[in-house]
Amino acid sequence: MQFAMTSARRHLLPYWFLAPALLIELAIILYPVLQTAWMSLHDYVLFRPNNAPFIALGNFIRAANDPVFWLSLGNSLIWIVGIIAVQFVLGLGTALLLNQSFWWRGVARALVVIPWALPSVIIGLMWTWMYDYNLGVINDVLLRIGLIHEPIAWLARPDTTLPSIMLALVWQGFPFFAVTILAGLQTVSRELLEAAEIDGATRFQRLRLVVLPSIAQVLATVLLLRTIWVANSLDVILVMTGGGPGYASYTLPLYAFLEAYSSMQFGYGAALSLILTVLLLFVVYAYVRRAAAAEIAK
Amino acid sequence: MERRTFIKLSGATALASTLAVPARAQSATTVRWWYHFDNPQATPADLVAKFEAANPDIKIKAESIPWGGGNDYYTRLFAALIAGNGPDCAMVKLNNQARLLEMQALAPIDDMVAKWDARSDIPDNIWTLTKATDGKQYYLPLQYAVIYLYYRPDLFKAAGVEPPKTFEEFRTAAKALTKDGVFGFGMRGGAGGVDNWGPFVLGGGANFNKGGMVSDAALAANRTYVGFATEGKVVPPSAPTDGFQQIVANFKAGRTAMCIHHVGSANDIVATLGDNVSAVPVPRSADGKGWTLFGDESSAVFSASKNADAAFKWISFLSTAENNAAFVNLTGQLSVTNAGAKLDTSHPARFVEASVASLPIAGVLPDSPKTADFTGKVWPTNMQQALLGQITPDAMMQAFEALFNG
Repeated sequence: MQFAMTSARRHLLPYWFLAPALLIELAIILYPVLQTAWMSLHDYVLFRPNNAPFIALGNFIRAANDPVFWLSLGNSLIWIVGIIAVQFVLGLGTALLLNQSFWWRGVARALVVIPWALPSVIIGLMWTWMYDYNLGVINDVLLRIGLIHEPIAWLARPDTTLPSIMLALVWQGFPFFAVTILAGLQTVSRELLEAAEIDGATRFQRLRLVVLPSIAQVLATVLLLRTIWVANSLDVILVMTGGGPGYASYTLPLYAFLEAYSSMQFGYGAALSLILTVLLLFVVYAYVRRAAAAEIAK
Repeated sequence: MERRTFIKLSGATALASTLAVPARAQSATTVRWWYHFDNPQATPADLVAKFEAANPDIKIKAESIPWGGGNDYYTRLFAALIAGNGPDCAMVKLNNQARLLEMQALAPIDDMVAKWDARSDIPDNIWTLTKATDGKQYYLPLQYAVIYLYYRPDLFKAAGVEPPKTFEEFRTAAKALTKDGVFGFGMRGGAGGVDNWGPFVLGGGANFNKGGMVSDAALAANRTYVGFATEGKVVPPSAPTDGFQQIVANFKAGRTAMCIHHVGSANDIVATLGDNVSAVPVPRSADGKGWTLFGDESSAVFSASKNADAAFKWISFLSTAENNAAFVNLTGQLSVTNAGAKLDTSHPARFVEASVASLPIAGVLPDSPKTADFTGKVWPTNMQQALLGQITPDAMMQAFEALFNG
C-alpha cells in the first residue's frame, strides 16, 4: 500500500512541477483564445458592451461575403510567400558568405543583425521617409543614376505599395534567417565536405548535395517559424500606409486590427483573427510535427 | 529571539502597516486623469503641483496615454471603462461623445458648471458646439484649434498670385503655383485628411443629413476636390497616403506652396521658415458660405467615477484663465477662455488671427457613433480609391451617404 502511494506520488510529481507553468499558459493564452472565439459569435461593438447579441456564425458568413476580406486574404498570401521566399534566399546567401573565413567576419556577423534588432515602428518610419515622393533617398538615387526620369510615389500607387512594404520587411527579417542558417552551417560535417571535394564535387554540388541536406531540419524550422511571424505582422504596414492607398496594403491581420480598433467591431475583428489563426494552425501543426520528429531522431 | 517570536512580531508589524496605509490614503482623494500631448517632452507636472497646493485634499494622478491618431487613446479608454478600471476624468474629443454616451460612460456636469464662477469666460458658441444631442453638457471645453490655410509668401510672390479667398481663387492659385517641381497644394489623403476635404466639400454644399452627400452641389464640390489630384495635378502624386508629417515636411521643404492644418503646427513651421509662412482662413464659395473644422478638445468626468466633484474641480481648474493659458502652451493649441487667450503668447499673432477669423465658419462633424469610423477608416479608404481612379468621386460620396443615412 505504502509502495503504491509512493509510486503514484512519484508519477504525479512532474505534473506538480508543470502545474504553475500550465496555469499561466491557461490564463494568458487559452483563456484569451476562448474569449476571442466566444466574442466572434457575437455582434460585439466595444462602445455597446451591454448590447452584444449572439449571432452564431454570422460574423463568419459576413466575412465570406466581404470582398475586403478576400482581398486581404489574397494580399496576405502574396505577403507571406513573397517575404519568406526573398528572406530565405537572402538569408541563405548571407549565411554562406558569413561562414567563409575573412578577417572582419566577427564584425560582419554583428552588423548583419542590426535590422533584426530594430523596432518595427522605427523600420516603418525609416522606410516611409526613404520612399517619400518629394524627399526620399530612393527616388533621389534612382533619379541621379538615370533609372527613372521622375520620382515615383512608391507608397501611394496600388501596384508598388505592397511590394515596397514587403521590401522593408525583407530587410528587417532576413538577418534572422542568416543567423539561424549560419548556426546550422557550423554543424555540417567537415569530413563529408572534404570527401565530396575529393570525389570531384563542384562548389554548387557540395552545397546542394551535402550542405543543404545536412541543415534541412534547421531550414524547415526557420521557414515555419518565420511564416508564422510574417503572417501575423502588421505593425510595419500600419506605420507605413495604414492599409492604403484604398485597400492596396490590407492584409488579414491588419483588417482584423482595423475592424477592432478603428471601427470597434470587436466581434467581427475576433472572427477575422480566428480565421487567420485556423489557417496558421496548419503551419503550426507542421512545425510541431517536425519538432517532434527531430526529437525522436535524437 | 526565538523563531516563533520573530514570526509573530513580523506578522504583527505587517498587519499594522497594512492597516495604517488606508488611514493615510483616506485623507486625500485621488483623481485619475488621462491626457495626451503631441509633444512627449511636455508635462503637466507644474499644473498638477499648483492644483494640489491649492487643494491639499485632492491628489491628481496624471496618466499620459498614447494618442496613435486617436485610435490608441480611445480603444484604451473604452476598454478601461468597460473593465471598470477607467480614469475619473480625461481629455476627450467631440467625435467620440456619441459613443461614450451610448456606453453611458459620461457624467452630466450641468449642475457643476452652473455653480462654476469661470463659466462665462468661455464663449457661448463653444458651449453650444460642445453640448450633446440630448441637450445636456458632458464636455467641459479645454482647448481648440481651427483648420486654416498655410501658404508660402515667397512662392506666391514668384507666381504672382494672392492668398485665395474663394474656391475659384484657390484653383487658380494652385495651378499657377504648380511648376518646377513645386505643387500648389499639399493634399492630405491619408489619415486625418478629412480636415482638408471638409472645407472644400462640406463648405461647397455637402452635409451629413439624409441626401446631403449626394446632392448636386455635394457631388460637384467633391468632383472638384478630387480633381485637384486627378485632373489639375496640382497636388503631389503621393497625396493618397500623405499624412500630417508628409504635408508639413513638403511645405517646409518648398515642395508645396499651400497646406491645410491648424495652429498646432505653427511654431514648428515657423522654426524652419521664419517669416516665410503665413495663414488665412480656408477658401469659401463665391457667395461667402464655407466650412472649416473646429478642432475641439474637452474634459469629461466619467459616470463610474466615485470622485466626480474632485474630478470636476481639476478639469475646471484646467479650463480657467491662466491655467488654461499654461495648458495650451504645453499642447500648442488655443485657449477656450477669453482671459486665457489674452495671456497666451505662445503663437505668432498671424496664426491666432487666422484661427479667430475662421471661427464664423467653424463647425464640427456629426455627433454620431459612426463619425469616428468615418474619419478613421471609411473616409481614407474611399478618398484614396477615388484619388487613384479605382472608384469615381460620386461613388465615394455614395459610400459616405450609406454610412450615415443608409
